[in-house]
Amino acid sequence: MLVDRADIKKALKDPHKWGEKYSLWATYFCTGCGIMEIPPILTARWDAERFGVKPMATPRQSNLFLITGYVSIKTLKAIIISYEQMPDPKYAVAFGSCPIDGGLYHTSYNTVNHLDRYLPIDGWIAGCMPRPEAIFIAVTKLWKMIDGEMVDGYKRYKENIDYYRRNQERVLGKEFIDNIPTSVVVEP
Amino acid sequence: MDRSAAGRIDLYGLIGVETMTTWMRIVWTVVLPIISLLISVFFMGLSRKVIARIQRRYGPPLYQPVIDLVKLFTQHSNISHGMIFDMGLIIALAGSLVTLLFIPVGGIHPLSSSGDLLVLIYLMLISPIGMALSAGASGNPNASLGVSRKLTLALGYEVPFLLVLLAVMTQTGTTSLLSFVQGQSASLLSWGVFRFPLSAIAMFLILPVMLGIRPFDIAGAPQEISSGPQVEFGGKYLALATIDHGLHLFIVIALFVDLFLGGAANLGTFFLKMLGVFLIGVFIGAVYPRFRIDQALKYCWKWPTLFALLGLILVMVT
Repeated sequence: MLVDRADIKKALKDPHKWGEKYSLWATYFCTGCGIMEIPPILTARWDAERFGVKPMATPRQSNLFLITGYVSIKTLKAIIISYEQMPDPKYAVAFGSCPIDGGLYHTSYNTVNHLDRYLPIDGWIAGCMPRPEAIFIAVTKLWKMIDGEMVDGYKRYKENIDYYRRNQERVLGKEFIDNIPTSVVVEP
Repeated sequence: MDRSAAGRIDLYGLIGVETMTTWMRIVWTVVLPIISLLISVFFMGLSRKVIARIQRRYGPPLYQPVIDLVKLFTQHSNISHGMIFDMGLIIALAGSLVTLLFIPVGGIHPLSSSGDLLVLIYLMLISPIGMALSAGASGNPNASLGVSRKLTLALGYEVPFLLVLLAVMTQTGTTSLLSFVQGQSASLLSWGVFRFPLSAIAMFLILPVMLGIRPFDIAGAPQEISSGPQVEFGGKYLALATIDHGLHLFIVIALFVDLFLGGAANLGTFFLKMLGVFLIGVFIGAVYPRFRIDQALKYCWKWPTLFALLGLILVMVT
């Protein structure tokens, strides 16, 4: 059975995993396209709240980071700061073709072509644009990965912080990297 | 210290009022917060389900707040913003818990004594002040905006609320909530809602403002100011803030039931009455959009204040 949140034995055995799976609070980063696909899944048509997926106002409160559409160099700054503000464990999911390889805009001078060089991405939803149901497929995949303890994006980010910082510095400049509020990365 | 007719020392200043023994008070001081926490978590889950059904959604399961709280408490990292940030939240939670103990909940009244209605007015302010301290220490501009909105809103509802309490205290000649509740237990017609209809209307009109639910969730508006005072809370901090919010819901609704719906002799009836009041609030909140802060203040100082003032005049004349 895919949705096992009523399984009390399993919940008592690992309450942390139970909570993480069925209470995914999301921050939507919709500066590119993709904002059109979000309201239908929150409202009566698909109703993500029945699986515990709920939009939250700030990155501090959420643990699912959904980056939709292309990422420009300017928005990458905001994405990095938002990601680092989120408390562990956190899951980043990229929605659409553009974060994967630049998509339609891969020759553009200010589009970031491979998002996973700058942030650890736990899952990709390919398509231009994917249907709103694809978010549910992503969430169920995420459940399976949480069960198997395969989502380790936030751990990878801490382990390979030098690699990520080097790549970030190459496109964003040293001044930005020096001024990032270091509240999360140093957190034990 | 005066002695009652039975010769025992009247510790709580409640001669002629049926009170609990000291041991029962101590036991219920521990048990009542746990029960009220469970009830308020159930209320929060129910409100999400009811709102979903009104919006023609399926909605989360009833125990969704439990999942959320478990997740928040077991999160690996909890980001703090200094000592005031931590302490403010604890002050808020302690304020809510102490306020709770002063309210008679269906025959249970751990700290009730003479004059507890006056104590209650002061204690109810501790929790918002704690939250304001904590939010201010986070240094986020959205948090300070939320706090200023919350205090402005408090300015709006405190005026009719105090007028309502004044009418109640004038009519019954007592400042003890417990003896007031027990005075209503005689028959249906001795309920506060029939004795002070105008004050009851005023209190009912400011109930959503005091609860902070839509259309008056101005202080914590997620879409405008990123959930206001809670903007920097995550992990355990958000869990404690949620619990504080739940206890606040419980306190205000219980106070309404005690003042106007006759309290109750046992816990079951009391919770049923609370459920009725809460559901009406949720129904109103599910269909109305949010007010602006100036509209809310205008609303508070117009109709509820008018009704409360008329109720007070009526009580003083008769």
